[in-house]
Amino acid sequence: MRSLKSLLFICVLFLSLTIISSPAYAQKEIKIGVLYPLSGALATIGRDLQRAAELTADIINNKTPGVDIPMAKWGGIPNLGGAKIKLIFVDHRGEPDRGADLAKRLILDDKVVGLMGAYNSAVTKTVSAVAERYGIPMINDSSTSPDLTERGFKWFWRTTPHDNYFNRDLFELLKGLTEGKVRGVKAVPKAQLQNLAYACENTEWGSGVAKSIEAYAKEYGFTIKKGILYNANSPDLTSEAKALLSVKPDAMLFASYLSDSLLMIRTLKGMKAQTKFLWGQDAGFEMADFAKQLGGDINGVLTRTVFIDKITKVKKVAGQINALYKKKYGDDLTGATARSVVGVQTWAYVLNKAGSTDPKAIQKACNEINIPANELVMPWEGVKFDSKGQNVLGRGLIGQYQKKPDGSISLEIVYPFDLATANFIYPFPGWK
Amino acid sequence: MEKLKDALDFSDFSKTERICFIIFTIFLLVFPWLGVGSFVKTVMIQFMLFSLFGMGWNTIGGYGGQVELGKAQYVGIGAYTVALMMVWWKVPFWISMPIGILIALGYSFIIGYPLFRLKGHYFAIATICTSLVLKDIFDNWNLVGAAKGIELPIHEHPDFLYMQFKSDTYYYYFIMGLFYIAIFYMNWFRKSKLGYQLRMIKDDEDAAESLGIDIRWCKIKAYSIASAFVAVGGGFMAVYNLYIDPASVMELSLSIKIALMAMLGGAASLWGPIIGAAFLVPLDRFLGSWLGGHKGLTGIDFMIYAMLIMIVSAYQPKGIWGIIEQFRKRGR
Repeated sequence: MRSLKSLLFICVLFLSLTIISSPAYAQKEIKIGVLYPLSGALATIGRDLQRAAELTADIINNKTPGVDIPMAKWGGIPNLGGAKIKLIFVDHRGEPDRGADLAKRLILDDKVVGLMGAYNSAVTKTVSAVAERYGIPMINDSSTSPDLTERGFKWFWRTTPHDNYFNRDLFELLKGLTEGKVRGVKAVPKAQLQNLAYACENTEWGSGVAKSIEAYAKEYGFTIKKGILYNANSPDLTSEAKALLSVKPDAMLFASYLSDSLLMIRTLKGMKAQTKFLWGQDAGFEMADFAKQLGGDINGVLTRTVFIDKITKVKKVAGQINALYKKKYGDDLTGATARSVVGVQTWAYVLNKAGSTDPKAIQKACNEINIPANELVMPWEGVKFDSKGQNVLGRGLIGQYQKKPDGSISLEIVYPFDLATANFIYPFPGWK
Repeated sequence: MEKLKDALDFSDFSKTERICFIIFTIFLLVFPWLGVGSFVKTVMIQFMLFSLFGMGWNTIGGYGGQVELGKAQYVGIGAYTVALMMVWWKVPFWISMPIGILIALGYSFIIGYPLFRLKGHYFAIATICTSLVLKDIFDNWNLVGAAKGIELPIHEHPDFLYMQFKSDTYYYYFIMGLFYIAIFYMNWFRKSKLGYQLRMIKDDEDAAESLGIDIRWCKIKAYSIASAFVAVGGGFMAVYNLYIDPASVMELSLSIKIALMAMLGGAASLWGPIIGAAFLVPLDRFLGSWLGGHKGLTGIDFMIYAMLIMIVSAYQPKGIWGIIEQFRKRGR
């Protein structure tokens, strides 16, 4: 009898547990699949992107005091009955085929409402092709290859400006230098900045940057003396650095991920390289670890970006979210991580506008969305997509690492000229 | 006809092996209908693809005993032929894939001829070099998309001619077909004249030569067969992923992966490459998928992966098939 009772008790307990844990009682969740490179050569960047995305989802899901954006007061998606956003992260390791397989897993097995990622442009290509095949919306927050929005896809939108915007900024800055528009620098004769040399990593992204640099150099009347594509995983960049220096370039331009950007700067320092202008196309050059590991060696180095912590002084929302991020993870937001914030934010606004998780409704909402500038951490004019899915209200910044009297390194805005926060250091001081 | 009979004849295998093979075949046939998730299906596709690569490598690397570490270049040739012909001239997959095989065969003869003057480590290094050179050419060759790669157009409706399907089940059965053609071919190959000649060359080149075997020609033939195998896989990769770039189809790591799977499973055996792929592909994909997205666990999948490879190679250099054979001998 006693054993019968205990059996009955166990059965009841099991049943109640089953009922409690059944989905009907669970709070409604909206699953978004996020693909980032969380291991391998790009693990540091991927991990930072993941943190920023998680923080933004937290802000949306839980009412967050002290952040002056409507979504911080939502506590879930209002038009979806307060449903919470659940981000499912997967690691594509920078491999396009793995990205495609994981995208299928997210869409078919995890039944996500949409996708975000994938940072590497090459992976974004295969992932977005899967999304397009299955008719699932994908919002890309951080891939900057211009081709991505030139494919006529109906299920792909990109919040970040792409490399053509950024490379034009670079040449505007070079032109500005020759015209005396740059804060703290007298007009530099063009002949002194005529010869350029670039080294870009050799995958989809870097080679796209190289192509774009070539085109703009022609348009703005500069000469490319040397152009190199190299392997970002290469353990040694001495020959590449030597090749660049052999043409005595006035300006050196790079498109590098983190480990190769560190290696390149160290190699150039070892060679006591001399140039007047040293610029990196985002990615490695603007990661927190770039400044942390190289310290004073990057005084005068330029990086294109979309976010610099100085923005927080002039933009309230940026300051508030940056403070939350810094409190939680110890670093300031960077161009890469801030884009991840905007990516999740755009997803939240789109879902709220759609008021449904139906792909067609989300597609319509994406095409109509208009997020105002004052609600973004970015110094953009907003988020609004054109017919190709490209955000037309984004813009880039160029920052310069400057050594402060106390020895610390600070990234100052030098372009656009009207946002400049410090005098430009020209020429590049180099290494002694 | 005789050749076909040889290909289908597994009578020299033990009864257990034959039963296992039949059960395995039935399992593969019904697998997509077992209600498994789509990710598991993609893992199975990768498994059969890498088995195909491994079986190809096995002709020259296993039976021929030549350490070949440049197979990725032929994956690339197969993939680029299919992709470019589809993008430029809208040529269907069923025409472009055989052309890819022919190009791979031709290229392998051109490369193989001077390459087989070398032996041992020098040969291994030379295969790596030729593969790297071809990748560098493709990285910088604007006509073929350079490092930006080639994107295949997406067809809105399923298209058998261009191998475009929404569901992975179709790709699954297609690669399964190729997988079995490869098994039957390899079953014939190991019993063929060339198969025996290669094993003789592997054991003692001088003795083989003294018996009148044209060593260089045998090696070139085996090398070309291997190249054709991987070119087929490359063509499949292009239509399956709809995007290829030199970094994903011509990278050195792909060549090493192909050789590693075959060696770990057991080189110079019919089942070796299949066992190697069955072991490493799911390990890599599942560990990466389960652990990759979790905080604090990043990189653990790499460690487990590497550790298992080290344990197997330390315990039995002949690979997993060697371990199985060892146990069977003990059992007798």
